[in-house]
Amino acid sequence: MSKTTKIILAVGAVLVLWVWFSYNGFIGLNESADNQWAQVETQYQRRFDLIPNLVATVQGIANQERQVFTALAEARTRYAGARTVEDKVKAANQVETALARLLVIVENYPQLRSAESFQQLMVQLEGAENRISVERGRFNDQVKELNVKVKKFPGNLIASLFGFKERTYFQAAAGAETPPPVNF
Amino acid sequence: MFGLASNPLYHHSKPLFNKLPIVFSVFLLPLIAAAHLGLTPGGFVNDYAGILTAEQKQMLEAKLTQFEKETGSEIAVAIIPDLQGSTIEKFAVELFEDWKIGQADKDNGVLLLVAIAERKLRIEVGYGLEGALTDAQSFWIIKNSITPRFKEGDYYQGINGGLDKIIAAAKGEYVPAEPTAGRIAGLYETLGFFVWVFFFLFIYIGSLLARSKSWWGGGVVGGILAALLGLIVGFVYAGLIALAVLVPLGLLFDFLVSRSYIRGVARGRVPWWIGGRGWGGGSGSSFGGFGGGSSGGGGSSGSW
Repeated sequence: MSKTTKIILAVGAVLVLWVWFSYNGFIGLNESADNQWAQVETQYQRRFDLIPNLVATVQGIANQERQVFTALAEARTRYAGARTVEDKVKAANQVETALARLLVIVENYPQLRSAESFQQLMVQLEGAENRISVERGRFNDQVKELNVKVKKFPGNLIASLFGFKERTYFQAAAGAETPPPVNF
Repeated sequence: MFGLASNPLYHHSKPLFNKLPIVFSVFLLPLIAAAHLGLTPGGFVNDYAGILTAEQKQMLEAKLTQFEKETGSEIAVAIIPDLQGSTIEKFAVELFEDWKIGQADKDNGVLLLVAIAERKLRIEVGYGLEGALTDAQSFWIIKNSITPRFKEGDYYQGINGGLDKIIAAAKGEYVPAEPTAGRIAGLYETLGFFVWVFFFLFIYIGSLLARSKSWWGGGVVGGILAALLGLIVGFVYAGLIALAVLVPLGLLFDFLVSRSYIRGVARGRVPWWIGGRGWGGGSGSSFGGFGGGSSGGGGSSGSW
């Protein structure tokens, strides 16, 4: 073997190794992002599971506020029907807005706010919201890590070669970063 | 750390000359990175605001150590002067991430965070204890056991009473699968030992290679490392890959250290890591650190 063949072989080996490791890196990052998204959805589910109870409690006293209940129900149905991540985020944000309105309405009913069962519900809701914001933040961190790699040289070469794409960040509804306050 | 900053050579030398210490400090990053909030845990009870007396701290520490021995779950208390502009929820999650309270595979940690200036507190619950210590329970613990005492200015009684309730709640669900006390700390110590051995070996070999002036020694060291790795993994391809990576790296390393040494000699100053002077080691502490658990925003917050 001549010297040049040796050099070419060595360079080739290094190249193959590099492609191999970067490809696996992208797979790993994508998997982590998927996994983190599943965490976000789990916490959404926690919130949705609280809504029927909440609605039942509020409806007993504030039956005339139909609009809000309808909006909540609609948003939930939309979330259930959503297939892509983008649609789910949109529907979840609608639920968030409707919930916020419901909480504002509750402010007008002191007898409701002082009921222990309602307080308990609000604490649970607050916990669900906080969990959502935590997992959402971690999802965005994962996506950022992936996107930086997809965009930066030389990772972008591998990314375009194997079709790894940038993923969209989770955009929360305005004001949804902080959990709703619980005031008794 | 390691007298790096206090070394006169480090301060007065030219930028080029400085590059190697910087390269070395990269290896130290994992050791320092544990504290991006700037808070390093010194035990289960960490009073950065200085509101507990030494005896009070001791008593809480004893209670939490006992609890950890019995159940394997870790409860950390952090009292901070202020939230540094953050919210109590965010600060708690970040501190939990930083400290990794609870065992890694069980996530059975709890953080009781108290921010004095904002008069806010939070119980942040690890994933593994969310079933035992629910949000609602955390809320009632804060409301009934902690904040009434805090309002009277009795922080110790508030924290003490709150911890009793947290312990009771946590015991309600978690039963230790096996006696785990000390196991995690042991693992950490072993890991730490290897990091140190690796670090000193690295410096030692670096200084040898630098003085040897030859350029191939590093390649040989890389090759030996690769062969060892291949043997340990017991996989021919892994060995070959390691060979392909480590030999050039070793060569590069040798080249860099030798160049630095030659330049150092030419200027009459030998870099600190070749000079063979001794530096003080890391400070010893009986606290072995937390076990690697994580949380996801469970728990509840309150104010007084």
